[in-house]
This record gives sequence, structure tokens and C-alpha cells, in this order.
Amino acid sequence: MNESTETKLDTEQVWEALRSIPDPEFGINIVDLGLIYSVDCNGADVSVVMTLTTPTCPSGSWIHEGTKEALKALPGIGEVNVAMVFDPAWSTAMLSQEARQQLGWKGES
Amino acid sequence: MAPGRTSLSGGWLAVQGRLPLAFMGLALVWIVVGTLMLLAVPSLLALPHSHPHVVALTHAWVLGFFVTVACGAVYQLAPVALGTTLANERYGWWHFWLHATGVPGMVVSFWLWDLELLGHFGFLVAIGIVLFTVNTCQTVKRSGRRHLVAWSVGASALWLLTTVLMGLLLAANRHWLFIPVDPIFLLRAHAHLGLIGFFVALLQGVSFQLIPMFTLGEMREWRWAGAGFWTSQGGLVVLAPALVFHHGVLSMLGAAAVAVGVTFSSLAMVRALDTRKKRALDPGVRLFLFGGVGVWIAAVAGAVLVAPWSAGGSASGGFNAMVYAVIAIVGGLLPCIAGMMCKIVPFLTWMRAYGPHVGRGRTPSAGALTLPRIERLGLALLAVAVVPLLVGAWTLSDVWIKAGIGTLAAGVALFTADMLGVMRHLWRPQIGAPVAVRAAKS
Repeated sequence: MNESTETKLDTEQVWEALRSIPDPEFGINIVDLGLIYSVDCNGADVSVVMTLTTPTCPSGSWIHEGTKEALKALPGIGEVNVAMVFDPAWSTAMLSQEARQQLGWKGES
Repeated sequence: MAPGRTSLSGGWLAVQGRLPLAFMGLALVWIVVGTLMLLAVPSLLALPHSHPHVVALTHAWVLGFFVTVACGAVYQLAPVALGTTLANERYGWWHFWLHATGVPGMVVSFWLWDLELLGHFGFLVAIGIVLFTVNTCQTVKRSGRRHLVAWSVGASALWLLTTVLMGLLLAANRHWLFIPVDPIFLLRAHAHLGLIGFFVALLQGVSFQLIPMFTLGEMREWRWAGAGFWTSQGGLVVLAPALVFHHGVLSMLGAAAVAVGVTFSSLAMVRALDTRKKRALDPGVRLFLFGGVGVWIAAVAGAVLVAPWSAGGSASGGFNAMVYAVIAIVGGLLPCIAGMMCKIVPFLTWMRAYGPHVGRGRTPSAGALTLPRIERLGLALLAVAVVPLLVGAWTLSDVWIKAGIGTLAAGVALFTADMLGVMRHLWRPQIGAPVAVRAAKS
């Protein structure tokens, strides 16, 4: 996860907005689920690179659209670019500690 | 990180779920009708399985409920699992209306034993299944995928069509007697083409896509799963004609191959479940897996029943075809299909009611749309109903049969209430205010 120090405040705001989006199957937000690969803020413009748990995730379209909508609702936001990638593929190693606790998984970090 | 960027395909974005939801709604009507038939005439379960009223009841449950759910599930899951879109949504709607019209007519025709009427309504259902098969096979073809799930979806559609055509042949032969074969043999082949060819084949493929997805697990034993699917397919190819021509040894070999295949698939599923990260299983997934165990027991029971030395067959009471049918249908198919519905209906409802609101307001998860206590109790009753029904069918005990039907009816009532509770979100979604994000510093 790339968080630039010079745009830290704006980046944190973006991460906070992204945390408001839950995955419909697990009810875990997409940040803790490890679906956000990077957030890059350049002034008022935001670029997000994200993935899905599987390329054939049936709710993928809504999560992708919802991510864009949540960012567009940020006060003072400029251009929003949300790229969906599947390389590298998502894996359970990307789950946050909070997500692991929610799932009841005591696996290695 | 140097990610390879892709854009979402238009087709992939377009999964809306109206068609599968329509099938799920129709299936709910049928599970209620099938249960009411049992409540009205509990003695149906003590009759020989070839009795017209038993055949009507079986078609209400199997064609009315199970096939309707499974077709709806295929319309949703096949494009998702294969990474494509449904080849022809219009065919899907034609199938829906033909099915919705034809199946009630078939059930009434069986009950009245009016073979001419049965032929008319059966023809409508058959046309619907032809459209389903063409649609499904075209979807598989356009996807370009040739993995287990693709083979399973395509093969199950073709077997369903074969089953329906066999059913029409059976009815025509009852009327005109042009094939000199005992109708009961044709009936058995027809039933197993549907049970194994359609349902078991579908479960042996699609489960390996769904269960790891729902549990965040990994599918590591594709070879076992493939061996399970193809062994069962080979078994059915031997079993169906052997049942028609009443060949004991070949029937037993075919049934044994099916049982071995189901065992391979079960082992592959156990290995996949071992890898799951979501430790607590949802009630729907638990019931689905319970049904998987029931399918395995039914496969073994079927192989024993069909053995040349078995005294089963159409005998009244004891280990007979009715006992086997109760294990297969109430202990296997019902939990599998109801469990699958408990996952699919909330998800489809979420897609339509809440998907467009993601990022604009607070949306619940799909699992949160259910009524948890009603769901858990209903599914538990559906699972345990097999025990008294089994005892009743074995001992021909009226008391046990009524106890089983009562348990099943209570389970169906709660299950239906839960599903309707989920579907009410389609008309009355509960969307919260968006999460407030603090303003950026100027």
C-alpha cells in the first residue's frame, strides 16, 4: 500500500472513504479485505488501484462503481481514477488483522 | 508492484439477476405447494413409488422446486463462474414462462392420470428445457472455458434435456405402448438421469467454485474433483440403459461408479473446506454440506438397492425404492438446494436492491438481509425432517410419516418466511446515510 507522506492528510481521507465500502459477502470493508492496492493523491486528484477477491466476483461491478462514487463524494475532490487490476491476484495474505479476527481465522500474518 | 491493469468488460458489469430471482420466486411457490400436497395426503409416502399421486408429488418437488431453483442458479452462476454473460436472456424468459405454465399442468395431469393432457403440458416444459440447454451450452461455448465447472454446467444441462425427453417418451409409451419395456424400468432410468445427470453433475462442478468463494478457501484438489465428476458421468452412462433393460450387474456397476465418483468429489470438498479462512460456516453453507453427505449416502444406498441380490425394488416397507428416494430427495437434494438458495437469494437481492447504492449510502451485507433466528430454525427443521420420514417410509408407520411431514412443513414455513423476508428488500431497501468523512484541511 503506497501512502505518500507529502499528501498524507488527503490520502488518509481517501482511505477513510474507502473503508465505508463493505464487501457484500463478508461484510468486511474493502480496505481490510485487502482489495485496495494503492492510493495516490495529486492535489485534488485521486488515483486508486484495486482488485477483487476473484476476477469473476459477481458484485465486482458494484464495488468498483461504489468506490468511485464514495471518492467523488469527498469534499474538494478533483478527478477520480479507479483502476481494477488482477495482477497480482488477491490472496488471503492481504487480509488485515481486523479482517482475520472478523473471519475467525487464526492464520499467520 | 507493477500491476497489469484491466478494465471491466461491459458484459461482466451487467449481471443484474432479474431472471434468476424470478426462478427463485417461482420455486418458493412450488416448495409450498409440494408441502401442502404432503400435508393434505400424508399417506402418499406409504404408497408405491410408481403410484400416479406419488409421481405427481415427486414432480411438484423435483420439477417444481428443485429444477426451478437449479435453473435459476445456472442462469446466475454460469455466467459468473465462466466469466461471460448469458448467451440469450430472452430465451431465459421464454423458459421461465413455459416452465411456470407447463409444470402445474404436468402435476395436475399426473394426479388425474390424464396422459394426453400430460403430453401437452410436458411438451411446454420440454420446449423450455430445450431453450435452457441451448442457452447454457452457448454460454459455455462463448466463454471459451473448458475447466470442470464449464463441463459440469454444460453436461448437466444436456442431461436435464435427456431426462425431459425420456419423460415424454415414457408418457407416450404408456399411451401407445410402442416400446416393449416395463414402464417402471423407464421410470427409474428417467429419475436417475435427472438426479445424477442434472443435480449431482451440477453439484460436482459448481460447488467447487462456490464453496471456496463463500468461505475464502482454496480449491487444491481439482484432480479429485475431476475424477469424481467423470467417474459419476461414466457411471450414469452405464446405469441409465442398464435400468431400462433391467440388467442387474450392469446397474450395480453403474451405480457403484456413481457412488465412487461422489466419494471423490466429497473428499475434494473436505480438502477445500480445510483451507477456509472464514471459519464459521453460514447456515446455508452448513445445510448445503449436510445435503452433500445425504447425496453420498443416497449414492451408496442406490448401489446397494440395485444389486442383483437386493430384495429392495418396489417392495412395500423395509429398504426399498421409497426409502432410497427419501434419502436422496429429503436428505440430499432438499438441503443442497435450500442451502444454495439461502446464499443465492440474499445475494441476488443485494445486487438489485443495494448494489447501485454502494458508495452513496450505508448498505448492509447480503447475509444481513436474512432473519437469522428464523433462518437457523427453519434450516435445522429441514435437515432433521429426513429422520422421521425415513423411519416412516421404512416401517410404513403412519405416526412417523406424519411426524416427518409436520417437521418438514414447519421447516418449509420458516424457510419461506425467511426468503420472503429477504426479497422484501427488493421493494423496501434500507439504505443508511453515507458515512461522514471529515473535510480535508485547506
